[in-house]
Amino acid sequence: MAECLHQWTMTNVQFGFVVFEKCFHCNSLGTYFTGEDTPILGDKYREGDCYWSRVENAQSIRFDLECSLCGRLEKFDDLMGLMHCPGCPADCEVDAIRKKCEAERTWILVAFGFIYKDKRGPLPQAKVDILTDYFNQRRDTSRSRIKIVSFDLIKDLSVCRGDFIHDVGMLSQEPLMERKPLF
Amino acid sequence: MTTKDLIDKIGLRPLSTFEHREVNGVFVSDMLSDVMAGAKSGNLWLTVQTHKSIVPAANLVDVAAVIVTGGKEVPQETIDIASKYNIAIMVSDLPTFELVGKLYALGSFAK
Repeated sequence: MAECLHQWTMTNVQFGFVVFEKCFHCNSLGTYFTGEDTPILGDKYREGDCYWSRVENAQSIRFDLECSLCGRLEKFDDLMGLMHCPGCPADCEVDAIRKKCEAERTWILVAFGFIYKDKRGPLPQAKVDILTDYFNQRRDTSRSRIKIVSFDLIKDLSVCRGDFIHDVGMLSQEPLMERKPLF
Repeated sequence: MTTKDLIDKIGLRPLSTFEHREVNGVFVSDMLSDVMAGAKSGNLWLTVQTHKSIVPAANLVDVAAVIVTGGKEVPQETIDIASKYNIAIMVSDLPTFELVGKLYALGSFAK
């Protein structure tokens, strides 16, 4: 039996917030998705030795992809979001890929998994590839293409100045180099 | 209907540099996540947002153009990024409601 040439469609779309929280004991960062109407900034709770406080909310979506041909469902509840790489002064592999691909009109986006106590959640390469396929299937690829890479390729998150495709800070117009780091 | 036709017919002001292309529908939203979920390749995206983050969202879903409504001023940084990615950014002085009415009246992609 021939292998299915998946045609992905977005399904199980849930609107909500990606919450960024910080531990004021060990300074760790954590992120998660919530479907709450309005997560309250500054909300605090204790978890073991950590004292977590919500420091940022970003309106976002959670979704799965389903193949319209074979019905395969690929869950993306571990996807925190996609980030646009504007290029950094840092020596970063994502920036190197970006420069190479842009010459071929292939635009790079970075897929982030959720973060817990500074540990980056795993986002298997197979799922990153499915995301790339899905967004290319949604576009006119004779004009340009999308390539999604994993955030593991970012050399140093503390200097990353990427832009998440999240609804946050939309009124902020500060120059790129003066913006505070993401993490 | 192409982006060039729309400039001629409803007086959109192009800000970025881009190649003209076919337009096949209209999507109205001021939320990036909404655009990511619902906009289709070749759509016009009508919004009041001007932040540079609209460009990667528009690029991700391959909209034909971003139309900033209400005559809002678009920061040069947004225009520069859009030009780099061949994304059409255009401005209409009309509020969103009136522009939608004009687009609907054009008929060819109103569904």
